[in-house]
Amino acid sequence: MPLLEVKNLSKTFTSKKGEIVAVDNVSFSADKGEIFGLLGPNGAGKTTTIRLIATVLKPTGGTVMVDGHDILADSEAVRKNIGVLTTDIGLYDRFTARENLRYFGELYGMSGQKLEERIDELIEVLEMTDFADRKAGKFSTGMKQKVAIARSIIHDPKVIIFDEPTAGLDVLASQTVVRFMQKAKAMGKLVILSTHEMYDAEKLCDRIGIIHRGRLRVIDTVSHLESSTGTDNLEDAFLKIVHGQTGSAVVRQRSLKEKKPRIFSSRGLVIGGKTFAWWRLAILFAAAVILIVQFLVKK
Amino acid sequence: MKEILTVWKKEIKDTLRDRRTLYTAVIMPIVLMPVIMIGSFKLQESQIKSLEQQTAIVAVANESAAPSLVAFLKSQEKISISEIKSDFENKLNSGEIQAYITTPDDFESLLTAGQPATVRVYQKSTEQKSSNAAQKVQTALAVYNQTLSVQKLSSAGLDPQALQSIVVESKDIATEQEKGGYFLGMLLPMFIVLFSIMGGMYAAIDVSAGEKERKTLEALLITPLSRFRIVTGKFMAVATTAITSVVLSITSMYAAFKIWPPDFGISFVFDLSLSTVVLMLVLGIILSIMFAGFLLAVAIFAKSFKEAQNYITPFYLLAILPVSIFSSIPGFKPPLWMFLIPSVNAVFLFKESLMGQTVWSHIILTVATTIIGAIIAIVAATKIFSKESVLFRD
Repeated sequence: MPLLEVKNLSKTFTSKKGEIVAVDNVSFSADKGEIFGLLGPNGAGKTTTIRLIATVLKPTGGTVMVDGHDILADSEAVRKNIGVLTTDIGLYDRFTARENLRYFGELYGMSGQKLEERIDELIEVLEMTDFADRKAGKFSTGMKQKVAIARSIIHDPKVIIFDEPTAGLDVLASQTVVRFMQKAKAMGKLVILSTHEMYDAEKLCDRIGIIHRGRLRVIDTVSHLESSTGTDNLEDAFLKIVHGQTGSAVVRQRSLKEKKPRIFSSRGLVIGGKTFAWWRLAILFAAAVILIVQFLVKK
Repeated sequence: MKEILTVWKKEIKDTLRDRRTLYTAVIMPIVLMPVIMIGSFKLQESQIKSLEQQTAIVAVANESAAPSLVAFLKSQEKISISEIKSDFENKLNSGEIQAYITTPDDFESLLTAGQPATVRVYQKSTEQKSSNAAQKVQTALAVYNQTLSVQKLSSAGLDPQALQSIVVESKDIATEQEKGGYFLGMLLPMFIVLFSIMGGMYAAIDVSAGEKERKTLEALLITPLSRFRIVTGKFMAVATTAITSVVLSITSMYAAFKIWPPDFGISFVFDLSLSTVVLMLVLGIILSIMFAGFLLAVAIFAKSFKEAQNYITPFYLLAILPVSIFSSIPGFKPPLWMFLIPSVNAVFLFKESLMGQTVWSHIILTVATTIIGAIIAIVAATKIFSKESVLFRD
């Protein structure tokens, strides 16, 4: 059985204005010692797919098996076996890099000498020695990204999922990340790389799945993708496959945001499209309380 | 349980490194509570004293018409007659004089004729000093009236006692402790409720909306911990800071009262009995737990620290307004059903306890409703925390 098996995975977000299919019947499998690329434009459904695998979101259809564990039946075991670098990397600002790592290590059930050794190892591998004991609040994007990577693999998972790991990084920092992925592959890990960077995908991935508008269009090796589309680079192959439909994907994503109905906005209470400001409500409430109190006191 | 404690430990450590939480949960209750309580009492104390000791500056409109009256007023210790002879109303408005008197032109002849003479005392009641001065003048005039009446009666050969049919004496059965408790009850209960909310407020925002703002939430959700364990750990951390804040505020206030007891010069005793302090601590702790749950449930909806503050403000008003209104109504006797309203019932119970009039049914009702409120709050927070739409609100 392959290490990761995605079976007819679907996710539909429902809102009052309708349904948005973010992930539509996606199936693929990948095994250890492989770097599998998920390539697609922004809003294609890559991050949602990853969140489903990571059990952060619940699928509306299909399932995923991670090392034999079902995400629906045994989500805790799944989470123990995967390490996920999310798109949004955030650290606890008031903690040092080391303290950030220690907290997550403890959350994964590690402790004591073993945990400290693992932290030291990661600090060395990801070249974080200079800032390991400084508070994370003032870190640069590159420094943060390194800590976030170390955090996601602190428990030495079998499956490593990286969502846009080189976004916003300079050449040196992305070099470290790229080298780390290659090393993980060599150690027999399965690396899932989600990206829209053609260069990274071309250089790193053994196989690539092109995802567009929630659907997995094709899965193949880079060379096959190029030859089957009659192009000589991944970018052209990618454009041919998605037929230049990137624009519609962005629109879809935007409509998804707009369709979320809100009752409590930061300005006030939204009832029937009208906003009642908090301060007005507070005054009304105060007046009501005073009236009630006066009534009671008179009694 | 171990994982819950890991989350709790981390949040406490994080909170301790956050200046905002440290100020609102630790420094403020320690400093503010005694300062406000003792300060407001000292202020009242000094005001009462200074008003009593102040000399009233009074003008007499027609001084030459009533030399005997003026002479009597001049002989009064706390009254001084002003030199001002005209434009009384403006001078009263500007505060140059605190009251003025008009007498009829034929004042002396009316007196000798044995007819009543009307003396008008003018004051500006919105000025504390003026109404106080007027009161002193009126008291003096009453004494003067009495003296004249006695003279009249004795010159007519009658016993002055003949005019007195009854003698009124008023007695206060309120004990000194009750009087002191009554004063304390206006301020103290409100502050305990206030600190049980304020103490946990920043921590609640920091562990929920703050986690979203720093974009650490998703990484946390990917760890093997169940949502229930995460939220329990966070809830415990918020409750811990709120409890710390309440306990600190009560103990520091208790200490302050022991070190600098306020002295009104009258028979008030500000005696916080140990049983009252224990009741405050116990109820303060349950209140903190309840508010911790509610604050967490509200704050998790927000995407950022600022937004969370916007959400919490109406919640805060909702909780504090009734509390502050009820605690400032003097002598309000709540009907039994009002002990079913959480946090308002705590105020009533604190007041009762301060005056030494606790009723067991009230204690049971208050503690029970607060515990039920706490349970509802915790369940709500957990439920909200496992909603996808709340956690990933873009």
